Amino acid sequence: MTVTTSDGSTIIGESILISGSLNGDEDLTVRGRVEGTLTLTKTLVVEPTGVVKAEVQVKNCVIAGAIVGNVTASESVEITREGRMVGDINAPRVIIVDGASFRGRIDMGEVDVEAERETRTLSSRPAPLPARPALRPAPRPTPIERKVEEKTVAVAASKPPAPPSPVAMGAVKRKVIVKHK
Amino acid sequence: MAGIEKVPAPRSGAHTVIGSSIVIDGEISGDEDLVIQGTVKGRISLRESLYVEGSGVIEADIETANVEVSGQVTGNIAASDKVELKADCKVVGDIRAPRILIADGAQFKGNVDMDVKETKGK
Repeated sequence: MTVTTSDGSTIIGESILISGSLNGDEDLTVRGRVEGTLTLTKTLVVEPTGVVKAEVQVKNCVIAGAIVGNVTASESVEITREGRMVGDINAPRVIIVDGASFRGRIDMGEVDVEAERETRTLSSRPAPLPARPALRPAPRPTPIERKVEEKTVAVAASKPPAPPSPVAMGAVKRKVIVKHK
Repeated sequence: MAGIEKVPAPRSGAHTVIGSSIVIDGEISGDEDLVIQGTVKGRISLRESLYVEGSGVIEADIETANVEVSGQVTGNIAASDKVELKADCKVVGDIRAPRILIADGAQFKGNVDMDVKETKGK
């Protein structure tokens, strides 16, 4: 557990109970209890001793303690190994690690499986482009679609295109190196 | 400048700070020291010390052991030990505590009750 007492950030200590509404534009660390509504434009960290029973609206949320209530985050929600949560999550990025306990619904927004399938089938039919490296498992194709795909592969194999995956790897590597600098 | 003075590390270990951009509307209760740099409306009840720093604004009834005000407080203060109004603070409300200190430069409007035993008068 980190014990940071930097100025300008808010810490709710272990024995503190706040009931009502809490609004703010800075990071908040909860080691005690907060009940009601909690609205921040920055990061909420609920430490293992912290309990939040509230409607939470934040930018980022890290849960190592307990949250009962719905969490809406404009960036991410992370439930750590020690985190417990009951409620709904609405955030573009949701991370739940092994050991975390959670019950509720998750809405990550723009996960439109149907639309993706449509675009895939459309693109594969008229122009047999070398298929993009499978970033995600392909949606269950119908038998007809599979035939089309097999044809595509055969055509692609006759004139070998540059395998896309090593390029992607190289790009990632380069990025990492830049980051280290 | 009697602005942000560092509060000595509290005995209880945990240290609660309500930062300057935080607004709390409701009730705060607890058993440890509380430093307020933001805004609190409603009620505060603690068993330890409350520090209202220069940027702190409180519109609440306060019930604690100790209160140290450098910011603004509107509401009644009841302390079991001591209330200290520092220079540059603004306090409107009644204060009730056995020990009350008002520094030069503090602004205060309200009643003061030090629980003086009026046995002689009665």
